[in-house]
Amino acid sequence: MPNGKAKDRFLKPLVADYEELLGRFQQTESVRFEEFTAIWRNMGFSSVFYGSLAGNEMREFCHLTLTMAFNYFLPPYSFQIRVGGLYLLYGLYHTQLASPKEKIRIALKDWEQIQKFYQDSVNSQHYDAVYIIRKLIAENAVLYTAMPQMLTFRVKKKPQHHKVCEEFRDRPERVKDLISTDMLQEVANIQGHHERLKASVLERSSIAVTQQDLPARLHSCVLEFLHWQDRHENHGDADHLVYAEEKAQQVESSNRAQLLASIKTKSYGCLAEASKSRRHRQVEMDTSISGTGYIKEAPKYHKSRAPSLKARTNKNLCGEGDEQKIQYWLLSAAEEDKTALKRQKRKHSFRW
Amino acid sequence: MAAGSSSNVNENIPVFEYKDINTKPFHVGSFRTAWLEKLKPIDYSYEDKYEENEDADFAKEMGIAPETLDELKAICSVDTLRGQAEDEPLDTNVVPPDPTLQTLIQRKKKQDYKGTLRIDKISRVDHYQDELESLAVGKRPEDPADLVPEGEIILSINVLYPAIFERFRYVRPHMTLQMLGSHSLVDLRDAICCISDLQVFGEFSNTPDMAPDFISKDHFKSAFFYFEGVFYNDMRHPECQDMSETTIEWAKTRDFPTFHKAKMEDTRFYDLKVKVGYPYLFCHQGDCEHVVIITDIRLAHKDDCLDRKLYPLLTHKHRVMTRKCAVCHVYIGRWLTTNDPFAPNDPCLFCERCFHMLHYDEKGNKLGQFLAYPYVDPGAFN
Repeated sequence: MPNGKAKDRFLKPLVADYEELLGRFQQTESVRFEEFTAIWRNMGFSSVFYGSLAGNEMREFCHLTLTMAFNYFLPPYSFQIRVGGLYLLYGLYHTQLASPKEKIRIALKDWEQIQKFYQDSVNSQHYDAVYIIRKLIAENAVLYTAMPQMLTFRVKKKPQHHKVCEEFRDRPERVKDLISTDMLQEVANIQGHHERLKASVLERSSIAVTQQDLPARLHSCVLEFLHWQDRHENHGDADHLVYAEEKAQQVESSNRAQLLASIKTKSYGCLAEASKSRRHRQVEMDTSISGTGYIKEAPKYHKSRAPSLKARTNKNLCGEGDEQKIQYWLLSAAEEDKTALKRQKRKHSFRW
Repeated sequence: MAAGSSSNVNENIPVFEYKDINTKPFHVGSFRTAWLEKLKPIDYSYEDKYEENEDADFAKEMGIAPETLDELKAICSVDTLRGQAEDEPLDTNVVPPDPTLQTLIQRKKKQDYKGTLRIDKISRVDHYQDELESLAVGKRPEDPADLVPEGEIILSINVLYPAIFERFRYVRPHMTLQMLGSHSLVDLRDAICCISDLQVFGEFSNTPDMAPDFISKDHFKSAFFYFEGVFYNDMRHPECQDMSETTIEWAKTRDFPTFHKAKMEDTRFYDLKVKVGYPYLFCHQGDCEHVVIITDIRLAHKDDCLDRKLYPLLTHKHRVMTRKCAVCHVYIGRWLTTNDPFAPNDPCLFCERCFHMLHYDEKGNKLGQFLAYPYVDPGAFN
């Protein structure tokens, strides 16, 4: 893609929208496509492509949407979020307005993960997920590439890595990854080998340097951890309620503390020290601060000052109503009037 | 980890060396075979897959009944994604009112701002430039022998202009070429257009009508590419010299790993070992250096341009402003004069007509003392 400017602009709101959609999908706690389309229609997500985008921007935007959505299809996200990512890709591919359609880029390094995901879906009989993957491949919606994005060596710009949304993350499986069945097998083999060597070398084979039942103990450790994780998750709701109650109590107590503090500040107040010459006109305390909210904010000066003598004279005699009038005809402007020759500066340029 | 040895560290799978910047070096041909192994031929073919076959395969794999399949298809069809109100025609050019999506809120701001502008400036050239990309999309050749075969690799290469000026710090003027994996490096070299190739040297104030019969491109034919420690020299013509020789000799005296040499015409892209997204060098005319970045490598797709004759394909080209004649401001400058008493500044550009009118009388005699050089404008390739 020629320039990365479009990407920077559109990135944040797009990611916010995706996380909103996937957050709602996560709450439905299902992986059915019907649920997904209900949320999609509710949010009116197809309209994300509406609005005329100048020139090539539409194509770049579609490319960006697909690239960003693809991140949610890969680990470390949980299975449900990955299925959500898949549906998201499907939806975006079909509702995009660029023609010919922008394709989904799959890098070689991610293919293994995708195959694993496919197998998991087949084994769990998630018909809709499987059907959609097959449909995308059959429709030639996929480009098989080396890398998920086009790389143009933009080192000066800080590359924006995809920030993994913590709520969507899968349960950490680090223990299972460390002590996999292959590893246990190998440890058992090595142990057996060691025992045999020991027996052949030493006469007294009662000396035991290693633990005899190491593989079995590792295995039981892993199982215990998994059970604990399951229990922790199942009791997550109950724990959550208790936690919420505690939090509510804390909030109450802190509210009282805040109330007391605010009363104190009102009485002592953030009085601005008036200068000596105007000490006879003390700064007025603003007693209109409501309730518990604002503690540290300085009292605002609500009472407007009376217009000065100079201002009043100007208003009465000179008539300032025409300040804003733009002089279109330079011939009719007075010679001393320099503002007529100056170009009107645009009040505010567009900020993305 | 003892289990580490069982994981397959396949060198042909490109991975990031620095995240989101560039990859580690990998062999292009092996990358292609790696993909082709993992896919079924039907996945990357150009034909449309028949829906009935797809459905049959799917039903067989999952073991579901035809009624379930029909129901599934209805649920997963694309129509479910559209909103309910389908009666009124949807204007996709306008952001819908009361947007809830963040993207749309942002876009609406821009749209409202655009409405306040009195003049909407669209540069016509920029408009057409954006279309350059999609110009050759979906083209099929007339002769089936010219069809790009399925499973062919397409590379996107950015060749940056030789930019030494300060004002090029924020802009990266480049041209993007798409090439096939079976092309050789000489095809890339021929496709790169640089104005230094067109330069004519020599002072022509005494003989303005003698058309220079050579351009630098014909005179200095040597060039080389540098990829991953290997210099690929262009040795097609007898007058080509090996420009990389000096660099290799110099590197031997310093603390550099040894560089190798190869011939440009014998190397295809499949034989290269490169990093994606990493800058490399193309040098020609002795000192005109271009930075070359391979931005993307992928398998060919149905919607690409499938005509071999059209490759190398230009997909993006930076437009350079042309400098006009100092006198008429209408025609492009063709002559550059120095030490010229007639010219307002030194050096000064003139177009053909103004140059002759100012410096030569009707008989063609030179008036005054000046030096004149033929000038090639950088925007010659626009």
